[in-house]
Amino acid sequence: MFFIRCQVVAMVVTTTFFTEPLAAAPFAYISNQLDDSVSIIDAGQGKVVDTISVPGKPAGVAVAPGGDKVYVSTPEAKGFAVLDVRKREVVAKVLVSDGALGIAASSDGKRIYVADWYNDNIDVVDADSLKVIKTIPVGDSPSGLVVSPDNRWLFVANRLSNSVSKIDLKKLTLNKTVQVGTHPFGLTIDARGERIYVANVQSDDVTVLETKRLLPIATVKVNMLPYACALALNDSRLFVTNQDDGSVSVIDTATLKEVALIEVGDKPEGINTHPDDRHVYVANWFDRTVSVIDGKTLKVIDTIKTGRGSRAFGQFFGK
Amino acid sequence: MKKITLVVSVLLFFFTAIASAHGPVRQDAVEQITINAPAEKVWSIIKNFGDMSWHPDIFNTASEGGNKKGATRVLTLKDGGTIKEEIKKYEEEKMSYAYKITDMSTAKTITHAGVEEKVPVLPVDNYSATITVEAKGDTSVVNWKAGYYRAYMNNNPPAEMNEEAANAAVNAILKTGLINLKALAEK
Repeated sequence: MFFIRCQVVAMVVTTTFFTEPLAAAPFAYISNQLDDSVSIIDAGQGKVVDTISVPGKPAGVAVAPGGDKVYVSTPEAKGFAVLDVRKREVVAKVLVSDGALGIAASSDGKRIYVADWYNDNIDVVDADSLKVIKTIPVGDSPSGLVVSPDNRWLFVANRLSNSVSKIDLKKLTLNKTVQVGTHPFGLTIDARGERIYVANVQSDDVTVLETKRLLPIATVKVNMLPYACALALNDSRLFVTNQDDGSVSVIDTATLKEVALIEVGDKPEGINTHPDDRHVYVANWFDRTVSVIDGKTLKVIDTIKTGRGSRAFGQFFGK
Repeated sequence: MKKITLVVSVLLFFFTAIASAHGPVRQDAVEQITINAPAEKVWSIIKNFGDMSWHPDIFNTASEGGNKKGATRVLTLKDGGTIKEEIKKYEEEKMSYAYKITDMSTAKTITHAGVEEKVPVLPVDNYSATITVEAKGDTSVVNWKAGYYRAYMNNNPPAEMNEEAANAAVNAILKTGLINLKALAEK
């Protein structure tokens, strides 16, 4: 344990030297849906350093690329809250529409994308004015969102249409839609922007798509009710939360086979990788905790107490 | 024949779509009780998935598959309603098992927003629960927790199918069950 802490501290120091003003220990922002709050985990210390009140049943999380703001969707408040990470408080509440759930920030920080679960569309919000500038219809019950690293495309998992849509972010129009497994929910993209991995809740598998033509290249069986996924170790391993059996499946992205099954807390949902590209954080909804997995040894090295209904759906790590 | 198949698949699709739309927020209920009896004794009362006679609200249990993952049971309530459940995880060494509701009978039919709605005997959807016995010296602690959605999946639920109704019903089941389990184990 002591050894691991030391490594984290060393890494944080390095980050501080190489990053612009906002640099700090990486923080994870965990939405606690039933507590109406967001827990801020200081990954260096391995504990919650602050809890912010966010009314409206906070669910989706997207940290702005600059790391200065965090967008948290609030389905019952029909929109999202803007958290200022320095002040550690909600500085704006944005009304979007009835079923705001999935949320993502553009790679240049200029836009925020919100998936509307009830109205089946994506709202494009200007990050400065916080106004909706465009509404794009997609499939039924859009949930997970991910922006390509080059900021050119937005990918949307349409849960009830069993499909993934690709949106052209220059034109703000739908480019293509492809069928995947049953009830896709969370998705992630690799650093090169070449592959997408989608967790299909009902078919207990992950669909692997190549992004250029948006075609499926593989389907990988995982465990019960996969919810979301995250890549680590130079995109060599994919970690998938299995909601219904309290585990995380580990997939080797070269062979596209499941190589390990790690027991975490009960009802694991949101999953994200620490900026060190090695440690994977999992929000356990039922246990009110976050499990920290060492992506190399595939062991849970820490469990951090958060709040009731920890969901953290999306990109919850600050850089 | 073709027509029938089409109608059936459309209906199936419709049903699946409605049954799995989770706009609402998942709820949780957690109950804990300390029992003045050894854990092995408490576990022996609840360990058989096919026997839920320890719960005062359950009139009868019919089961299939024993205590293995995928095993099922149909609980008949005192008022005649039925709940079908399936084992998701069974861990003898941890004295714990997790299960989910796969089907329920209808308690009553109401009209809400001009549409007929069937209120299930337990007004919840997508319900799963875990019960665990933990040894604390000569006594034991039982934890029973459930995660579920309200029965109504669209916006603006009727009172019979909202979060309050779901929470009240689930909390009552957990509480009643644990109180009776304590009484049985301490006999």
